Amino acid sequence: MRGIPFQTLFLRECYRFLRLSRQTLFPPLLTTVLFILIFGYSLGSRIREVEGFSYILFILPGLAAMGTITNSYANTSTSLFMARMDYSIENMIASPLSHIQLVASFVLGGIMRGLIVGVLPLLISIPMVGLTVQNWPMVFVILALISIFFSSLGIISALWSEGWDNIATFTNFVITPFVYLGGVFYSVDMLPPFWKQVSLANPIFYLVDALRHAVLGVSDMSWAISLSILITLALGTFMFCVYLFWIGYKLVK
Amino acid sequence: MVFAVQISDLSKRYGSLTAIDHLQLEIPSGEFLGLLGPNGAGKSTLINCIVGLAKPTTGEVKVFGHSVRSEPLKAKSFMGFSPQEVNVERFFNLRRTLEFQGGFYGLSKARAKDRAQEMLEQFGLVEKAKEQFFRLSGGMRKRLLIARAMMGYPKLLILDEPTAGVDVAQRHELWKYLSHLNRDGTTIILTTHYIDEAQALCERVGIINHGRILELGSPAKLIDQYCESKIRVTIEGPMDLSEFRDFPKLSINGNEITMPTHSLGPTTERLMARLTEIPGRRVLDLNLHRGNLEEVFLRVTGKTMAQEADEPSETTVAKL
Repeated sequence: MRGIPFQTLFLRECYRFLRLSRQTLFPPLLTTVLFILIFGYSLGSRIREVEGFSYILFILPGLAAMGTITNSYANTSTSLFMARMDYSIENMIASPLSHIQLVASFVLGGIMRGLIVGVLPLLISIPMVGLTVQNWPMVFVILALISIFFSSLGIISALWSEGWDNIATFTNFVITPFVYLGGVFYSVDMLPPFWKQVSLANPIFYLVDALRHAVLGVSDMSWAISLSILITLALGTFMFCVYLFWIGYKLVK
Repeated sequence: MVFAVQISDLSKRYGSLTAIDHLQLEIPSGEFLGLLGPNGAGKSTLINCIVGLAKPTTGEVKVFGHSVRSEPLKAKSFMGFSPQEVNVERFFNLRRTLEFQGGFYGLSKARAKDRAQEMLEQFGLVEKAKEQFFRLSGGMRKRLLIARAMMGYPKLLILDEPTAGVDVAQRHELWKYLSHLNRDGTTIILTTHYIDEAQALCERVGIINHGRILELGSPAKLIDQYCESKIRVTIEGPMDLSEFRDFPKLSINGNEITMPTHSLGPTTERLMARLTEIPGRRVLDLNLHRGNLEEVFLRVTGKTMAQEADEPSETTVAKL
């Protein structure tokens, strides 16, 4: 009986995004496939190899990370914000569910969606561009950690926001620029010293770099440092979400 | 005595507004309690404090001995809550909404499925089981909320305006169901705008205003306390007050006799016998005017329930 409420919450989250798969899963997959077509077959041949890999292979981990980041964030921010708007979150709070169960179920939903959107492009790339993944277990671990981090940010954003505008603002003016400047499309070694330092101050750089190490076996930074930063960010934001639920921030009157 | 709810020194303030003011209330297990009060009186805030949707500023709420603040999961596991406003997720159909709710209360998938079917049948929603809630009429939405509240086999059922918008026949069906549940031992707390509902269902009624319970008692006791019931008899034929001296407080106005009484009983029988003693005198009309909770409500709060219904509700004001 003890695990059933949490299991139900988790299934509810998965059911929600699977039911809306035409909005939640297929568009990001299509976007990634288009990136592969454009950079793999069209522009890619005009760009020299990066760290011994063709350009499309070099950016694939970044594309996977980008999909995971945007989708895990979108999953929790949308789900929780909708629940706040239609007051269904009140039903969950009035039910015998703990704060950790509530937060963990939202985050797990984000992880599931993040993993699907992150792993499928890598699988597609195996026949399309001849990708050989170096360490699959590590790929799953890193994508899961990325998902925890951004799912937690999605929860914070959903609690803080008072309208859809706020959710979109955070996506458009924080996440997107950080992702594009986080080393998805380039190696920091290719940047001038000043911009290299700017990139190193961007947390997303470490997520992409850790995933690139797991997929290709190469990275700009030590993968241990990147992984440590990722674990700290994931756990820190998750615990902060639990704290917000515990104090009832915008949830309890 | 086992108490379903124990509320001690409960206060809830929103800035300078005091919604609940040092409220004390004990609800014995198995009781059917009604809460009546003008809008903004604190009914919804009180309910929100019980179900954990509002944090009390001071005081404590216990449900079957478990503090809502320090043992929330245990306390909530006893409760089913049907709120005033619809708060159903729009992604899921009715059946899945109920099944998920069962899961929240620890029902296995199979049990949740059976219980959902039972509730859909009980509340006449089987044909709508595959619909989403926003396709339902107002009355059906209310029934769905109650069905959902019942999914976890609650020992304490809290219903905030459960029959608003429900048609008369379904309202009476629901009364039967709630009475049956209460007879089987479920404690029920009900807020309602329908005086007849409170009078028909509740063992005790609490009248709440300015965050305090002003009166609490059985409907009969409150009516006795606040209302003057009287018998009115219209007669034809000769009549003299002097022949009724042994009936205290009796008055005559034209051909109408008025006497305060709480019920038809020996005094009334004696009066009727006296009236028919004299040949040629006939009783044309007999009318017992009994007090009701509406009058009690008016006397305690200075407002009628109709006036109250016209004003915006607490939750509406909060959402604005």
